[in-house]
Amino acid sequence: MIRIVWAIIRKDIAQMSRDRFFAYITILGLVVYVVLFWALPSTVDETLDLGVHGVGANLLAEQLGGEEGLDLAVFDTSDALERAVTDGELVAGVDFPDDFLPTIATGAQATVTVYVPADTTDDIRTAISGLVRELAYLVAGTTLPITAPAEDEVVLGPDRAGDQVPLKDKLRPLLAIFLLMMEMMSLASLIAQEIRSKTVTAVLVTPARTTDFLAAKTILGTALAFVEVAVLMAAIRAFGSSPTVLLTALLLGSFLVTGMALLAGSTGRDFIEILLLSVALIVPMMIPAGAAMFPGSAAPWIKVLPAYGMTQAIVRASAYGAGWAEAAPYLLTTLAWCVGVFALGVFMLKRKVETL
Amino acid sequence: MSSAAIVVDGISYAYDGRRAVDEVGFTVERGETLGFLGPNGAGKSTTIKMLTGRLRPQTGTITILDMPMPSQASKIQARMGVAFEEKNLYTNMTANENLVFFARLFGVSDLDTGGLLDRVDLADRGNDRVAEFSKGMKQRLMIARVLINMPDVLLLDEPTDGLDPVSSQSIRQVIQEEAERGAAILLTTHDMAEADKLSNRVAFINEGRVLVTDTPENLKLTYGNRSVRIRARSDGQIVETVIPLDEPGADERIRQAVAAHELLTIHTQEATLEDIFIHFAGRGLDA
Repeated sequence: MIRIVWAIIRKDIAQMSRDRFFAYITILGLVVYVVLFWALPSTVDETLDLGVHGVGANLLAEQLGGEEGLDLAVFDTSDALERAVTDGELVAGVDFPDDFLPTIATGAQATVTVYVPADTTDDIRTAISGLVRELAYLVAGTTLPITAPAEDEVVLGPDRAGDQVPLKDKLRPLLAIFLLMMEMMSLASLIAQEIRSKTVTAVLVTPARTTDFLAAKTILGTALAFVEVAVLMAAIRAFGSSPTVLLTALLLGSFLVTGMALLAGSTGRDFIEILLLSVALIVPMMIPAGAAMFPGSAAPWIKVLPAYGMTQAIVRASAYGAGWAEAAPYLLTTLAWCVGVFALGVFMLKRKVETL
Repeated sequence: MSSAAIVVDGISYAYDGRRAVDEVGFTVERGETLGFLGPNGAGKSTTIKMLTGRLRPQTGTITILDMPMPSQASKIQARMGVAFEEKNLYTNMTANENLVFFARLFGVSDLDTGGLLDRVDLADRGNDRVAEFSKGMKQRLMIARVLINMPDVLLLDEPTDGLDPVSSQSIRQVIQEEAERGAAILLTTHDMAEADKLSNRVAFINEGRVLVTDTPENLKLTYGNRSVRIRARSDGQIVETVIPLDEPGADERIRQAVAAHELLTIHTQEATLEDIFIHFAGRGLDA
């Protein structure tokens, strides 16, 4: 059996290497992904850029100038402040009116104008609102009307304060999935070609069995995808303190897309059908990877998608150095998906080649 | 040990209740070529699928080289060569690479690709990609592929269908050589003339049933109408007379026809396999 499987693998490698489209697209993809990764900033800017204008602005700058995480700029005119916010230089601009102090001295309510960019989210607006209230108290020279309670902070999970992950590090799963899906298309195309040309029938009237054919495709598909994605991860320095966890996640991901390739290859009849099927599979595969870049934006249902576990395992292992204990649930979820998708792919492809 | 390399005994197969092959039986001896003749949809391909182990007969048995098919499929296939009607070659690989790949599947380590390609007149095209080959060249390469493992049994499905005379002749030559070597050959075709030339015996199949199996000669003698066609000149006109030999008084009629006029040509005429098939099936192969 090993001789036959190896013979089929060697033949498949020869065929794949001659498929110029997939050869180019794979190499090009690798280069583009690596360049894209390194082109993105590798630091996280956690400073809150705030502008102030009006009475008390200089006082605020003096008192809060040394505060960590807050960069307070004083503007001479309201127009300049508004323009800076519009140009995206500031998170928000606070404009104190000239009659601010006399008004609050009489006990009346003064109005402070706060400029925020149009795309500011509600949670940021709420945070800015709280900050403005504090600034107003500072300008007025009074303290908050209540005594602030003591805080006892309990951190659940690894404490990542001061250890923020740049966006590009969260991009890794998306790049990995792009590459894996390209390999899926390549293998699916090869399988569909074997079915369409009925070369598989010629193979199956030799001592080769359907299981040999399936084993060869599985081994080659998984190995190629794994090597390529591992090279990509090495090129974008994903192997940090948990290389074995990351390699396991990549291996499972490679196996998962191989199962998908068996499925797509048995269903699609030509390149266009393979392309359409692949796109149909790529989209749900990409959603968890996209969500990993913006954790707050993800809906709970993405957890049921096949790539969720793999994505989480890659992010946690590569960006946060997560160990086996933390990654285990995600790896097990991915393994379950692998088994399910692979079993379905094998069933479909076996049925297809045996009824040709 | 049976002298027959292929023994098919009452096999049947139905797709969704429709019988494609119905109680089919025949044998092919070692060194014999059996022409398996029938129109499209007659059950030839389903029979071939069962013989290659790709379908399991729903009734009946198949014994090839004294081993039951499909339960001993691997062992049988190691000694079998199959050429399909479809040119199922790896077109982005060279002719040599195609042969080497299949040799690896058969476990043949000392393959003489040059010699094999030479047998099908492709010796100088070994390093060319199959995509560049004509239909005839592809078919010849298919035949070369069949010979990789020096098979004891050859199943050839329409091996010369639609080919140019040169390619057809090259393939016929190989088939005759393989039969002389001792291989049992099942030749599926709807080309009656080819079957007549290559087959020791022919089996007619129609609507899933084998109608008759015999040598072409016996079939023609038993079921065909022999006749003599005489062309003569009479009063400046050419007269053609056809006299069936199997009718009473044929000898006398021939003598009279020859004596009465100025004889131009005289030919004997025997039935073709097509005539015999029509006799049994009530229709021609292309009907």
